[in-house]
Amino acid sequence: MMEREKTTFSGGRKYSNDEITVYWKPDACVHASYCYRELIEVFDPGRRPWVDMKGAETDRIIEVVNMCPTEALTWKWNDDKKNKDISIDQTNHIKFRRPELMSTDEQEIQENPVSVKIMIDGPVVIKGDFTFQYSGNKKEIKEGIISLCRCGASYHLPFCDGTHRKIGFEDK
Amino acid sequence: MTNMESNENKKPLTIVEVIDGGPLKITGNIILKDLKKDISDNPPEVYLCRCGYSGNKPYCDNSHKC
Repeated sequence: MMEREKTTFSGGRKYSNDEITVYWKPDACVHASYCYRELIEVFDPGRRPWVDMKGAETDRIIEVVNMCPTEALTWKWNDDKKNKDISIDQTNHIKFRRPELMSTDEQEIQENPVSVKIMIDGPVVIKGDFTFQYSGNKKEIKEGIISLCRCGASYHLPFCDGTHRKIGFEDK
Repeated sequence: MTNMESNENKKPLTIVEVIDGGPLKITGNIILKDLKKDISDNPPEVYLCRCGYSGNKPYCDNSHKC
């Protein structure tokens, strides 16, 4: 098969099928867990390699990669000619492509409410402009994203580090 | 008559505060939701469980003190 290229790029790893390549930057991941909650067949953190491009159709993989609230997961067409169209897409994606956070053409980004999303059996993911206070620290977050532990078992409190999955944390 | 207009123009500053040994307190202009639905649109303040033991998740019910 032709696709036996390098599986790494600066900052991460990449995974291809015949049509697209998915790029994974672990440093950017905040464990929001959209990927494996939506598509465990492709994104399984318990498997090595954790991404299996044979697990779903390309359209579905694109859909789930676009859900990633950070730039930890991005994608490109293997046919570079087609990538012109998605460059905008990817930029938006990085700037909160999630539709509920897209500003409605008005210049009122400041007015956008901060999104506080409870990830089922996982962290709480907070996106937008807000003040973040913890242990005497105070940070102004601008168009930022943080993922905070809800299971109590993170080694990196108050942040999520993915431990909820290992301990089987459940919301119920 | 209260001046609603000036009230609306002022953007509420959203504050996310991690309370040591306690919940996550969030005040300001937020939408609280989970994967499926909006849970609450612009609640005045919420206290979210951080210990994993609340019987009323995602909210804190003071179970962390037990």
